[in-house]
Amino acid sequence: MQPAGQWFESDPLWFKTAIFYEIHLRGFYDGTGDGHGDFRGLTEKLDYLQWLGVDVIWLLPMYRSPMRDGGYDIADFYGVHDDYGTMDDVRSFIEAAHERGIRVIADLVMNHTSNDCEWFQDARSSPDNPKRDWYVWSDDPTRYGDARIIFVDTETSNWNWDDKAGAYYWHRFFHHQPDLNYENPEVQEAMLDVLRFWLDAGLDGFRLDAVPYLYEREGTNCENLDETHEFLKRVRTTVDDEYPDRVLLAEANQWPADVVEYFGDGDECHMAFHFPVMPRMFMALRREEAAPILEILAQTPHIPKNCQWGLFLRNHDELTLEMVTDEERDYMYAEYAKDPRMKLNVGIRRRLAPLMDGGRDEIELLHAMLFSLPGSPVLYYGDEIAMGDNVYLGDRDGVRTPMQWTGDRNGGFSRADFAQLYAPPLMDPVYGYQAVNVEAQLRTPSSLLRWLRRFIALRKEHPVFGLGSFEALTPPNPKIFACIRTYEDDVVLCVHNLARSAQAVELDLSWYSGRRPVEMFGRSRFPKIGELPYLLTLAPRGFFWFRLEEDDEPS
Amino acid sequence: MSLPDRIDGPLAHWVMKQRWFAAKAREVASVNVLERATLSVDPPLELQLVEARFQAGTHELYQLLPGEGEAALRVLARLLGDEAQVEGVSFHGGLEPTGDVRPMGAEQSNSSIVFGEQQVLKLFRRVEPGINPELEMLRFLSARGFGAAAKLTGWYEISGEIMQATLGIMQEFVPEARDGWQLALDDPLGVLARLPELGAATGELHSVLASDPADTAFAAEEPSMEALSLLTATIDEQIEQVFLDLRPGTPGIEPILGRGEEVRDRLQSMSHVGVGGRLIRHHGDYHLGQTMLRDEGWTILDFEGEPARSLLDRRRKRSPLRDVAGMLRSFAYAASASELLRGVPAPAGWEQQAREGFLETYLETVDQSLLPAGRPATDKLLAIFELEKAVYELSYELNNRPDWVPIPVAGIARLLQEEVPT
Repeated sequence: MQPAGQWFESDPLWFKTAIFYEIHLRGFYDGTGDGHGDFRGLTEKLDYLQWLGVDVIWLLPMYRSPMRDGGYDIADFYGVHDDYGTMDDVRSFIEAAHERGIRVIADLVMNHTSNDCEWFQDARSSPDNPKRDWYVWSDDPTRYGDARIIFVDTETSNWNWDDKAGAYYWHRFFHHQPDLNYENPEVQEAMLDVLRFWLDAGLDGFRLDAVPYLYEREGTNCENLDETHEFLKRVRTTVDDEYPDRVLLAEANQWPADVVEYFGDGDECHMAFHFPVMPRMFMALRREEAAPILEILAQTPHIPKNCQWGLFLRNHDELTLEMVTDEERDYMYAEYAKDPRMKLNVGIRRRLAPLMDGGRDEIELLHAMLFSLPGSPVLYYGDEIAMGDNVYLGDRDGVRTPMQWTGDRNGGFSRADFAQLYAPPLMDPVYGYQAVNVEAQLRTPSSLLRWLRRFIALRKEHPVFGLGSFEALTPPNPKIFACIRTYEDDVVLCVHNLARSAQAVELDLSWYSGRRPVEMFGRSRFPKIGELPYLLTLAPRGFFWFRLEEDDEPS
Repeated sequence: MSLPDRIDGPLAHWVMKQRWFAAKAREVASVNVLERATLSVDPPLELQLVEARFQAGTHELYQLLPGEGEAALRVLARLLGDEAQVEGVSFHGGLEPTGDVRPMGAEQSNSSIVFGEQQVLKLFRRVEPGINPELEMLRFLSARGFGAAAKLTGWYEISGEIMQATLGIMQEFVPEARDGWQLALDDPLGVLARLPELGAATGELHSVLASDPADTAFAAEEPSMEALSLLTATIDEQIEQVFLDLRPGTPGIEPILGRGEEVRDRLQSMSHVGVGGRLIRHHGDYHLGQTMLRDEGWTILDFEGEPARSLLDRRRKRSPLRDVAGMLRSFAYAASASELLRGVPAPAGWEQQAREGFLETYLETVDQSLLPAGRPATDKLLAIFELEKAVYELSYELNNRPDWVPIPVAGIARLLQEEVPT
């Protein structure tokens, strides 16, 4: 038997109905007592993730790294960081996850390496070194001048002078992250071998970090170039040929029309994040109107049938505001980043719960909308218990604090001394581990955690949310976001009230005349749909999900 | 009804009226053959994986063996003996069974064939990817010479387009002996005298299952710090779900109708202290009907776990007390069934004596490191598992055997009356 696949039915589209859960390994659980989360610790928590209903764990980079960018600065693609464990730990973790029906994907940074990487050390050592051409060098720091600078808070140029090399090297992110030169076929081969190594270790796929920037060409903004797409298609072909039922998830923080290019004709990436819809869900909530969501969905092109959007509310980065207009950005800053410390680069570095001022109804409503949209939801660790953030920690570390397991010392994250922890757990009275933790919420039937588990289970009973068609309704009341999802014989109506006040809405459901809405949580039967507009009343920030069932009984 | 499968009429109709078909017929959208292997041309015998597709777009897969007559069943015996490989189906055994071939009578979630009154082949109907726990368990127990389970003698599996899965297992046949359930009804006092032996056999079963730290599929594990909370949260939701489905007017539910919150509070109060002990692979669906009594002693059958749970769930390690609770609930069933089925009340105090007789030797025999420290903690964890079982029974009986609803209802009502163990 093939060990990796033996616990799963073969299904090339499994990712379309999956719930993803993003984990910052360092912050999840410390199994060795050294103050850092690790693979052993994560393995111990698999029962929890299985209980929650997680289908796929997405790991942030776990490779050897000097950790100047949370591991996105990889120094050795063929090993794990000492803090996280050994390759054996990784393999047993993946096996243990598979035995629980959970798949595992990991971040892979193809665009660049750390400057500590042996490849780069070789390359800079001499112009004659065989690895020299693995990176992008220049004597002229004005080349590719149309490329924007991404980390505007810390970097002033995409070129950095290297004394040892006697040349400038190209970097789209931090200056300690030199870009690899994909014009060089050796680099392409080297990266394909890296993929093979990890797929052989059991990984079910990759979240491909920063893919739009693989190639550079003068006179362009050096993003989304044709050459980049060609290479990604080559990656896809290799994976399809050698490793069936794996997934490639592209991180391309771009407008929908550009992002869909990463699906190709269904022959490039299986999935890509839908970045622009995310800030618009927050905007819609603040403005109490569905328009921002409806507009961006209308601008989103259809994608190939074998592809899927990755949808999320928050992740390990700042809440990015690159894909909104200047006006919208000002609005978002004004509403959600009142303290300037909350801003970072072009975004807001806060977690979901504090963004919602801890509002339970708002958090539930956002999850309901997220789950109703066509795509696979990606949850961020800690958000299921409404964990908070720490804006006094630098960069994005404030949203990467230790997972809060219990009300005990270190929030149950680690048995190490407090001073040894990689970051302090939250201890404030509102979001601190004594108030917010897994143990307490497991024991409280009405907790957010318990609610979310039931909600995940409900979504998983209905493949319609991952596979079905999507039709947004446009009721006369603009405060209502409503949609119809249809797959085979399953028809689902989702109605969400964005307003802080109770609302009534009349929905034109005449197309479904004769069907009976049955509320999906409590299975209450509502009056049958007729030819007249269907009237619903919703509580403030409330929502209803209905199955529209065929029903021969009179109403 | 018996093997080989003789499919008359449309496939969907035939599949849906089989006893092993687990889903509700009204939710089925279509039934299709997804994969087939020709095991033999003459006599004809085919192996099919059939998909029942539901309206929501989910599906379940079932194994069918369409063929003609007894001769087709002999083909299976030969394939197992030959360790044959046929179109992605591989057979393991090595000893070709001889003698008469007969399908076994009572069919439940699976179908069985007896070869020469020596061996029995159990064919799993509902198929899920992965190793079937029964294969793992029997292989483990047989290799360690555990006497109270029938030895594994072969199995067959598929490595096909859709999945890799165990399709059936063969083991030594336990000659006609009555199962513990029948005996408890026919001769309650006779069984009572033998229950301490069953307790000991169960204790030994758990000790053996926990005995190999090198085998990761079986090595006993310490529960994680949230293990108990996860368990009670899961049971709590099952309680909520069952009570949500209770309809006033359903016969037999009066004693607990509207008391869902009380039951949940009860669960909360039982789970307030930390519970230790270790987690192991265990039987998973343990009750009197899974045991046979012979002169030599008890034999334990059916290691595949509760058929309603997923394969991945059935493979999980849990406290062995879960099995013990299953057996204790089974005594309650037997006591009530005596009146329900035979019109004769069980002997006075029978259930209590059965519990004590079984439990005492079990607790003496089992590897103590598997139990929580101290009797009160053991009782508390047992009570949680008994509640879980009773809630599962209630939902099962409501859907399948409305006449039996009063039994789990009485069990739940009794738990509500008892003092919380401290």
